Amino acid sequence: MSDKKHHNPEEHFREQHLMLDPMPRGQMNDMVMESMHTTSWKFWVVAAILAVISFIGLGVDWYRLIMEGQGLAGVMRPDYWGIFLVNTVFWIGISHAGTFISAILRVFKAEFRRPFTRAAELMTTFGLVQAGFSIFMHMGRVWLSYWLMPYPNQRQLWPNFHSPLSWDLLAITTYLLSSTMYLFLPLIPDMAMARDRSTGWRKTFYKVLALGFRGTEGEWAHLRTAMNIFAFAIIPVMFSVHTIVSWDFAMATRPGWSSTIFGPYFVIGALHSGMGAVVMVLAVVRGTMKHMKYFIRPEHFEGIARLMLIISMAWAYFFFNDYIVQWYGGDKWTKTLLHWHEAGPMGWMWFAMLIFNIAIPWSILWNKKWRSTPWLLFIVGLLINVGMWFERYIIVPISVTINRMPFTWRLYQPGIEVPMGIGTVAFFILLYMLASRLVPLIPVWEVQEGQMAHSLTKFGRETVMTVSELE
Amino acid sequence: MTIEKSLLAVFSDLEPAADAIEQLRHLGVHDDCMNVISGVPVTEAMLGRPNQWTNVPRLAMGGAILGFIAGLFLAFSSPTSYEIQVGGQGFAPVPVAIVVVFELTMLGMLLSTFLGVFLDSYFPNYRPMHYVPEVSDGKIAVLIECPQADEQKITDALKKLGAESVQMAEAQHL
Repeated sequence: MSDKKHHNPEEHFREQHLMLDPMPRGQMNDMVMESMHTTSWKFWVVAAILAVISFIGLGVDWYRLIMEGQGLAGVMRPDYWGIFLVNTVFWIGISHAGTFISAILRVFKAEFRRPFTRAAELMTTFGLVQAGFSIFMHMGRVWLSYWLMPYPNQRQLWPNFHSPLSWDLLAITTYLLSSTMYLFLPLIPDMAMARDRSTGWRKTFYKVLALGFRGTEGEWAHLRTAMNIFAFAIIPVMFSVHTIVSWDFAMATRPGWSSTIFGPYFVIGALHSGMGAVVMVLAVVRGTMKHMKYFIRPEHFEGIARLMLIISMAWAYFFFNDYIVQWYGGDKWTKTLLHWHEAGPMGWMWFAMLIFNIAIPWSILWNKKWRSTPWLLFIVGLLINVGMWFERYIIVPISVTINRMPFTWRLYQPGIEVPMGIGTVAFFILLYMLASRLVPLIPVWEVQEGQMAHSLTKFGRETVMTVSELE
Repeated sequence: MTIEKSLLAVFSDLEPAADAIEQLRHLGVHDDCMNVISGVPVTEAMLGRPNQWTNVPRLAMGGAILGFIAGLFLAFSSPTSYEIQVGGQGFAPVPVAIVVVFELTMLGMLLSTFLGVFLDSYFPNYRPMHYVPEVSDGKIAVLIECPQADEQKITDALKKLGAESVQMAEAQHL
């Protein structure tokens, strides 16, 4: 349709591709600064509501849980692992999107990543904060959490490094620190840009975070080298985190958990929910923040949606692989568990998981027009996240129900976990909203760098987009 | 004794900046006496400048080695201080050690990479420095250290090559 609208192919390319539609750098800077400064009353109303929900979930309810004990939660024999751990796995999954988009797409030089790497990286850091909260909620006696730290007690007894839970501490700490550093490094030049354009308290804020960056050859060389090291090194860290999370389950010789494919199955599941969350964030940012329609275009949704489709297929493959091996094995307790998943009282959740994670993405994302439509992708991303939350719920409390002692079987009924879980969702959104007022969500220098590298070239009668490798 | 002056020339584009750097060399300004300030990472090759030295990869390697040693300590040495048999496994089994050593090696490498940027770039640095805010608007600034006697000659040459402005560089708070 747009081919008919534009007789000039160059104009058509410019409309379609951010990289071919350059604006003067100063103008792009102003647009990004204005998007941070323009805040309507609705923003503050939503922020206030989220702050109240966060306070109730993470303040009041958590205080009650600490004072009155884990009895307020629905965890009881045999379901000692409930929604707190479902949420831990869920939030770590969400956090995978930032690294995947920023590091993997950077390593593979996927140019469409440029305008939204930071929006995705912020999700990583804020998602890990919620994962940390959820794990501490599960821990119960949070004031003793320092016992996890690798140092000896008075009797020279160190933490047990044979336990996947100890590996979790190391992996999540490594990932939280490295993803925060990876968020911060490419932010430094944008902080300097914001410093040069701000006054008052904002000037001080950006000045401190810009660290005195000017953009000298040396500073860029150090930054570029560090970002390359991070892009390559953070990928195995990302894989290790969710693999180790899966080992929390797989290392137990329980029906449904003891699976050699749980590592990659969890990693792909994390990417599935993470990509769904990224597309939701981008749709909201594009729809609500000023000037974002210039930076985030249908081409970006299209690119992410393609990845979502591939990841959905990979998730289906791993799910089926895990399922069929267990089903074929014929172990009595495993068969009972699989039957419980599908035909038990929570069977609706099992089928909903398959519909949300496979049927809906496949039936929508094959179509180029649909996968370029932000609101539709928002819905697909939301449903994928609901489906992936269901998947974790099935793996954790529903699977724990079936063990080798039938007299203990009992359906898990969550209690205070529900409002506390809602509190983590509200706090995640609140953090993101506040960050959008302070942090340039668009890495302007990366966009400009990309625009410098892109051009139109004529091959015979056809005009095509070409990219030069500037590094 | 020669009095040194600092000049700051601002260019609107890459091409005139590259030409200016070449011309500065002809005028006897050594590469060590020039520095380019830009709002995007402009590679040394684009401006015909010598490659920048960076210690970041070495620091990253050093951090990785330290992390590796810390991992070895936690995996193999810490269990011997209070011996408890766990799950029928040895005190320090290699498969477990691989996980612990991997995580600490990566943590050491990434932390030292991050700190490497700070060390090499002298971050944080809030002292007055030579800078023009137009750089973050896409301009390219060339900072030149030259003898006072050459100041006029260099200024004229840079203006002829398209410099938007050539001024005495004054250190200022950013």
